[in-house]
Amino acid sequence: MRDLTIGMAGAGGDGIVSAGESLMTAAALEGYHAMLTKSFGPQIRGGESSFRLRVSTGPVYTPGGVLDVAVALNWDDFLRFGAELPIGGHTILVYDTQHAPDPGGVALAGVMPGEIVGVPIAAIARELAGHDTAKNTVVLGLMAQWFGFMPDTLLAGLRKRFQKKSADVLEQNERAFEAGRVYATDHPIDTARRLDPARAPGAPPLPMLLADGNEMCAAAAIFAGCTFFGGYPITPSTEIMQFLGRELWKYGGVVLQAEDEIAGAGAALGASFAGRKAMTATSGPGMSLKTEMLGLASIAELPLVCVNVQRGGPSTGMPTKSEQSDLFQAVFSAHGDVVRPVLAPTGVADMFETTVEAFNIAEQYQTPVILLSDAEIGQRKEIIDPIETRRFTIVDRRRPSPRELEAYVRYALTESGISPISEPGMAGGNYLAAGIEHNEHGAPTANGVIHARMNEKRIRKLDPLTRWRGAVTMAGDPDAPIGLIAWGSVAGVAREALDRAERLGVHAKLLLPTLLYPVPQPAYDDFFGSVRAGLVVEQSHQGQLYRLLRMFVNVPAGVVSLARSGANPFTPAEIAERLAALAQQLQRSRVPEAEAAID
Amino acid sequence: MVGDRSLEGRTVYQVKDFKSELKPIWCPGCGDYGVVQAIYRALANIGRAPHDVAFVSGIGCSSRIPGYTTAYGFNTVHGRALPIAQGIKFSRPDLLVLAAGGDGDGFSIGGGHVPHCIRRNPDITYIVMDNHIYGLTKGQLSPTSPRGLATASSVYGSLEDPVNPLLYVLAYGARFVAQGTPADMPGLAAVIEEGIRYPGFAFINVQSPCITYGQPDAQLKQHKAQMRPLAASGHDPSNRLSAMTLAQEYGDVLHTGVFYRDPEPGPTFEQAVAQRQIAQGASRDARERVLERFAVK
Repeated sequence: MRDLTIGMAGAGGDGIVSAGESLMTAAALEGYHAMLTKSFGPQIRGGESSFRLRVSTGPVYTPGGVLDVAVALNWDDFLRFGAELPIGGHTILVYDTQHAPDPGGVALAGVMPGEIVGVPIAAIARELAGHDTAKNTVVLGLMAQWFGFMPDTLLAGLRKRFQKKSADVLEQNERAFEAGRVYATDHPIDTARRLDPARAPGAPPLPMLLADGNEMCAAAAIFAGCTFFGGYPITPSTEIMQFLGRELWKYGGVVLQAEDEIAGAGAALGASFAGRKAMTATSGPGMSLKTEMLGLASIAELPLVCVNVQRGGPSTGMPTKSEQSDLFQAVFSAHGDVVRPVLAPTGVADMFETTVEAFNIAEQYQTPVILLSDAEIGQRKEIIDPIETRRFTIVDRRRPSPRELEAYVRYALTESGISPISEPGMAGGNYLAAGIEHNEHGAPTANGVIHARMNEKRIRKLDPLTRWRGAVTMAGDPDAPIGLIAWGSVAGVAREALDRAERLGVHAKLLLPTLLYPVPQPAYDDFFGSVRAGLVVEQSHQGQLYRLLRMFVNVPAGVVSLARSGANPFTPAEIAERLAALAQQLQRSRVPEAEAAID
Repeated sequence: MVGDRSLEGRTVYQVKDFKSELKPIWCPGCGDYGVVQAIYRALANIGRAPHDVAFVSGIGCSSRIPGYTTAYGFNTVHGRALPIAQGIKFSRPDLLVLAAGGDGDGFSIGGGHVPHCIRRNPDITYIVMDNHIYGLTKGQLSPTSPRGLATASSVYGSLEDPVNPLLYVLAYGARFVAQGTPADMPGLAAVIEEGIRYPGFAFINVQSPCITYGQPDAQLKQHKAQMRPLAASGHDPSNRLSAMTLAQEYGDVLHTGVFYRDPEPGPTFEQAVAQRQIAQGASRDARERVLERFAVK
């Protein structure tokens, strides 16, 4: 098989996450693509934990649906994850016999797994490794043998991981791994499934990349030339600051864990004023605090990248769960007549490109840019193809030439609306940056004519963005009558949904916006040209993108919103079925006016 | 042309080189006129070019001050001058960074930033123009308004004790703390210059009376008569406890001069940053290769 999804759950201390990471690392070494998501109980330490890992021979866009393999080290803990680890009729369920009840007798929402295998995992670990803690290693051995899951690479990974510990620990784990394999060999399962190799035999190894979205965002910032980060810890964005706290110094940069969200954004804006590329990162409530600073960045025309890794809200909401409900906030939570570019990544690989673009746009247009990520993308680990960084252009702000500095006018009303920007240290470039309205020279004013002219300048300069080629990604037949739109982490689900829909005979196409705001109207007009029915799929109760589009674009009446609150993930199958239903409705109503009749 | 060549070939700056063409919006008789004059004098004595100075402020009458200088100015949002000034200093330690604002900016809306700035100890000079009133919004209570003060927002009198800015910053460990008044221009220019020269965070509280909404009996004329230069009192500015004792008289006695100057300035944040960058091998890594960290080998 080309694709395998494994889910595993247990108690804190069972080494669940480390088992998932071992499998992930081995998969990367073998050249597979994969996606790893982790989930924990609400406890700060201890408590139940789980992972789900989808490994594939090709690119992976979603964490997968129903599990192919479910492993329960502790049955009660497994059940606590409910819909996050769904079991279906084809699932092979492996459980530790030590932690009965025997799941064969437990109703799993009325679904019986395809095969149920009880293994004395703890007993094997105790007997052969002398220790309960080797349970996760026993499971790795079982996986390796039953599913052809890279036995040699897994073993090499174990050796690497335990080499820092005592020789005893390494030996115990080697024995536990071997014991798992032996048990699997002696107890073959009925539903034989083996993962196809990722590469042709003898093919040279590709250096696959393994990262989560937050780390990728931080690395992309470094690549884009960011040398200042100011921030404050907040779930689920903190890893951006932590990555930069390890790495940014090496590039001559500075990381400031500020006293609050406002100071983090303020310090970053100060660094930008001083001529450096700067970033701040947060999540919903932190965005509220930074909003005043973003207004200042807009009127002072200073570049700034502000990342919002969205979580369930409002307020503390559900900090560990993903949601796409801060779009309205990103677009509209500005005082004054302001347009702020809002960009959204669609996955870990895309995070690199989108972050670099966020910096480029901030620099090019001298504006704050909101990078609207979400917990799903920020936290999940993906194995992705290497990124060819040479194809990226890095944009720097337009600085005044020596001649321009002779008679420098900071906010000169140029044709593009972009005025050359100086920075402290440049003789002749001295100016007053201010939150107060100002004339071309930066002098404060309360003159209505100047205010109108400056608003016009600050908004007009962003016009080219709506025609930016990278504003959206489209897939599928350009003439298809069914259109699917999704953004952020739901984009991956939509990609797979499109494939499924096509297999169901639905003639559909896909649009994934990178630029959420200003709304790239020409691209939507082009997309909607052939569309008679469709869906805008997103993880928010109100369907915020759908409503935003209806403000700025002529959305065909047959295009409807498919939206629901966070922590209730969409599946490709569900979306594909909705698309198929839309296609059927279209077919039944041949009259052209039918568009209006579709709900 | 800014500055003149001295005999040694070094550029010498004068007060006029730091004075911008903008006409202040301040009321005639406002203390802030004296403060900006003192800043011109201090900067001229320091001798850095105006384009090497970044002058950050918050919001309020006094926060208009960067625009009246020829430095790179940043008139930001209410209460946030210090975080922004730190971002400038930490990313560009080569610049001379000044921050300024009023008592509301520094000790009410922005009060939370002051302790953290102090503990990072950036080489920034922070000048607070303390007038005990909100003047720009036409006369409301400020954090340093005396208890009982009747204002537009406290018609029956304030129910709160004032913040003591001097004790506040001393308690958080500020290493350079001074106070001045525009009634004593040479003295004010001298403490500002000393603050700028101090290699670390310097806090200067300036009693800068509001002529329009301030108390009529606490104007420059009274300052001149009542001020008590610390230098003449035998106070030892290296003694923090003695500085704190004197600082407790804030509101009652107008001490001018240096309350506290830590004889061992200690490391600044930006110095620590430079060391960290060296320790981590700064610029050894090409940013084009940053993704190699994710390569699974």
